[in-house]
Amino acid sequence: MVTLTRRVFGAGALASGIAAGSRPSFAQGEPRRGGTIVATWGGGEPQACYVPPGGGSSPTFSSSKLFERLGNRKTTGEFEGELAESWKPAEDFKSYTVKIRQGVKFHDGKPMTADDVVYSVDEIWKKYAAAAALSDYAGIEAPDAGTVVIKFSKPVPEFFFSSLLCGSVNYVVPKHIYAGSDPITNPANNAPIGTGPWKFKEWVRGSHFEYVKNPDYWRQGFPYMDRLIIRYVRDPAGRAAAIEAGEIQIGVFNPVAPPDIKRLTNTGKFVATPKGYEESVWSTSMECNCRNPIFAKREVRQAMFHAVDRSLIAKTVYYGYARPGTSPLFSPNKEFFTPDTFSTAFDPKKAAALLDAAGYPKKGNTPRFTVNLLAAGWFAENGKIGSIVKQGLEDVGIAVNLTVPDRPTSIKRIYTDYDFDIAISNQANPSEPVPSTTQYYTTDGIKKGVPFRNASGFSLPEMDALVDKIKVETDAAKRKALVVEFQKLATVEAPNLPLLELESITVASVKVQNHSNDPNYLAASWHDIWLAA
Amino acid sequence: MKLDFLGRFSRNRGALAGAVVILGVALLAILAPLVYPTDPLRIVAQPELWPGEEPAYPLGTDSLGRDILAMIVHGARATLLIGLFASAVATVIGVGVGATAGYFGGWIDEIAMRAAELFQTIPNLIFVLTIVVILGSTLQNIVIAIGIVSWTPIARMTRAEFLALRDREFVQACRAMGMGNGRIILGEILPNALPPVIVLSSLVVAGAILFESAVSFLGLGDPNVASWGRLVGDGRQLIRSSWYICAIPGVAIMITVLCLNLIGDGLNDALNPKLRDR
Amino acid sequence: MTAISSRQLAALRLLRRRLIQAVPLLLGVVVINFVLIHLAPGSFLELMTAENQVSDPATVALLRKTYGMDDPLWLQLGKYVWALLHFDFGFSYRQNMPVLQAITIHLPATLLLMVSSITLAFAVGVAAGVVASMKVRTAWDTLVSVAAMFFFAAPSFWLGIMMIVLFAVKLGWMPVGGMITIGGGGGILDILHHLVLPTLALGLFYAAIYARVMRSSMLEVSQLDFVRTARAKGLSRRQVTIGHVLRNALLPVVTILGVQMGTVLAGSVVIESVFSWPGVGSLLFDSVSSRNYPVVLGILVLGSLVVIAANIAVDLVYMWLDPRIEIR
Repeated sequence: MVTLTRRVFGAGALASGIAAGSRPSFAQGEPRRGGTIVATWGGGEPQACYVPPGGGSSPTFSSSKLFERLGNRKTTGEFEGELAESWKPAEDFKSYTVKIRQGVKFHDGKPMTADDVVYSVDEIWKKYAAAAALSDYAGIEAPDAGTVVIKFSKPVPEFFFSSLLCGSVNYVVPKHIYAGSDPITNPANNAPIGTGPWKFKEWVRGSHFEYVKNPDYWRQGFPYMDRLIIRYVRDPAGRAAAIEAGEIQIGVFNPVAPPDIKRLTNTGKFVATPKGYEESVWSTSMECNCRNPIFAKREVRQAMFHAVDRSLIAKTVYYGYARPGTSPLFSPNKEFFTPDTFSTAFDPKKAAALLDAAGYPKKGNTPRFTVNLLAAGWFAENGKIGSIVKQGLEDVGIAVNLTVPDRPTSIKRIYTDYDFDIAISNQANPSEPVPSTTQYYTTDGIKKGVPFRNASGFSLPEMDALVDKIKVETDAAKRKALVVEFQKLATVEAPNLPLLELESITVASVKVQNHSNDPNYLAASWHDIWLAA
Repeated sequence: MKLDFLGRFSRNRGALAGAVVILGVALLAILAPLVYPTDPLRIVAQPELWPGEEPAYPLGTDSLGRDILAMIVHGARATLLIGLFASAVATVIGVGVGATAGYFGGWIDEIAMRAAELFQTIPNLIFVLTIVVILGSTLQNIVIAIGIVSWTPIARMTRAEFLALRDREFVQACRAMGMGNGRIILGEILPNALPPVIVLSSLVVAGAILFESAVSFLGLGDPNVASWGRLVGDGRQLIRSSWYICAIPGVAIMITVLCLNLIGDGLNDALNPKLRDR
Repeated sequence: MTAISSRQLAALRLLRRRLIQAVPLLLGVVVINFVLIHLAPGSFLELMTAENQVSDPATVALLRKTYGMDDPLWLQLGKYVWALLHFDFGFSYRQNMPVLQAITIHLPATLLLMVSSITLAFAVGVAAGVVASMKVRTAWDTLVSVAAMFFFAAPSFWLGIMMIVLFAVKLGWMPVGGMITIGGGGGILDILHHLVLPTLALGLFYAAIYARVMRSSMLEVSQLDFVRTARAKGLSRRQVTIGHVLRNALLPVVTILGVQMGTVLAGSVVIESVFSWPGVGSLLFDSVSSRNYPVVLGILVLGSLVVIAANIAVDLVYMWLDPRIEIR
């Protein structure tokens, strides 16, 4: 029995899986109305249905069916209005006028107006959901019930503003429910009232959410189905069994283990697709703690990356569902990604040479130096990656102490105590590089105690200046050129780079139509999903 | 007396077999760096090779491509060391507490027994998990955590022995001679109290191995160590296709614990001949 | 009006004494766990701010105050104990509900597992032990002894996984995990179907212990005088066994039963993980991982309560089984 075939995954086999076992996922004829669809995802139950600051993928998945945003990005890349009809920058790009859609009602019947938008931006976005993005925010006004004007203290590029309106948890929440309360502990977070196509019906803890069709949804004729159930299953094997038995029709974000993906698609009754994650690409990153004098020289940092075999990780840890990362931005990013960056590909000889030149020669069996490698334990894969990285570093003569702490300890050690020499962590970033990506490379991104920011301590005036320019450059072509420069500089300096871009997979029954049709499908509202007979 | 002890021990054939196997495991553990000099956690081959598929890897490879036989052999070291040290910690604490309680009696005894009851009341694996999560997943911390939850039966046994022995004539004679309490406890009573304690300690070794494998299985073990429990945990994702990754290390654990239990039985027979033959 | 017999009086006195003793015990449990959990690096607050991406220092300070984290440790402990006395186990901010509610949601699943595995262990173990003792040194005896050795030494999680491989994956007789079939079942038969493998994995370890102890206990008791007297009086072997020997031989088994009740909660943490059983064990593991102190403390306190209750029950059953025993 040759097990080689199991290893030949990746885009090639995936494509054949899609082609062999399915019909295209877009509507065939008239959408069938009515019925119930059961969904799941590759993680666990959220702590609350809606978490104002975001809270991670789980509450984003559950709340995005009930709330809506001002805008939405389509798979084609265009922005379209959702709760906003349109938006326009002022001449100086220091303010944007947003036309609010009329006639939209919240699930409790009250109308959605500019007041709700003002409240949401001031109280929720500025304080929790988009605090970093709104660093130059200067206020919001509602000249009339159908318009708001958002002001900034510096010019704001249009792409950035549009991305802000589409931010995954930048919702419009009902002022009459949240005003005067602490948004984080407001009980409405467990039974949210929004404007979305689905209305909250019930949360059976430990089991599922039940949502029903919103009869007054502003998009006429939607949603097609009557009920949406989001089921939480503790482990991947259970999810695979449920999907196979037809009890769950669609699972997003890697609901089953890679060997099961192949097994399910081979039956011809299921499809697996990597589409629907272009605005939420996950990566596994490695960062060097620049506070350690060893990593003061960028050649040493580059050597760390040269020592790691990213392809091996993609093959053995991710079963081929990953690509080596070459830039802080990711390849699906059509606006800004450039392949023309400084390469830190696998090259142990180069790594050894760089280390020798930097003054860390290898003498016989003594290691050049010792590092504490911390692999954040919130994904099981990170521990395995830690082992592979350890092996790669040992092969170039570096001694490694590997720890794989659990989630809270990892967060504390990496982002508060900075108690690591090399850390393996994860990020999920949209196409707009500011602030999600840039905050890992700028001095103002160093915020002790705030996770998923600049933990490496990297601080280069050249980088700060570059990012400041990117923030305020309103000409699209010039901005792209600046972002290309940013990618080159980041890869040369190499304080923190992605090891791999991960491919997230959705698994669904062939009967499910209109799925994966949004660049962040997990956070989409699923108003047009339907089940063929 | 030594020969007599060995004679009684080996009459229990199960115990003899168990002892032989454990010595074999210990030998394996000691020889591990010679037989498999490279780090067993290194990736050496294609992942998920079945046992027998590739002659160089008789027990196959795991999900990352590591040699399972190498990990089993090195795991033997970790397993035996943890078992021995955890048992040592438990024995030291248990004998210390039990001896003082049994010898001095009174309120010292009361406090000691309340403490023992306290540690027996807290569900033990949960306590171990909490301690390991707090102190960090290193081998030393796991040993300490297991020792902390395992000392109570040893303390009770020691206390019972001391209670029985402290009023015997030879002890009274020592006191009459002016011997200090410390000398009496350590020099006179303890050697006589030890036999049942030794039996218990051997069972604690078995228990410690089961604890450690459970902790590693749940993913809280030391990541730098190829523990058998961790191997079982790693193999969970692949039970449909490569279930040998879970099966083999589990068999190793089972055989080791089984042999330790047999040895415990044999020690019991050898040291307490009158209770034998049921 | 019926007079209370002296046995019942003794039982009541025991009950009262043990309940009084339970109080400092529980207090000790609470203190130890409280101190332990607060020693952990990475507090609940840090995890929450991480998940909520809160960076504004004023908001962080407000959160600290809301969760009572600015009080000195001893004050936090004092407040916690005081609340406990009012059956308030605190609030779980992770599940957004009182701790007691979070625990009671998961409790039925664990209780079901505990009861079924204890019942299985007791029934199978005692029966096997009796059979082995009645057919001592025959093939049956050896079979029971070997099986007992095997199940005593096998780690329960490994046993569970092997059973899943055999009965669920290869043979397809049993489900792979969970408590109910998603989207379908929920009925009693469905739950029982899912209960089989976890019960076996959790219970066979203790069945092995009961079998061995029962066997030696039966052999020991059958040598005693009063048994020989009964035989001499002409009672059949079976009557003697069941009437006299069994009842007395059960004593050591009952003691272990008390111990099992205490440790089966701990054992269920692992089994619930293997079988994705939605019980308190899973809740505990999740809470330890997320430093959700109130829930961890609540589970540990309740678990200790279960142990204390089980021990009291054991003592009472002991007294009932053998009236000569007066437990101090």
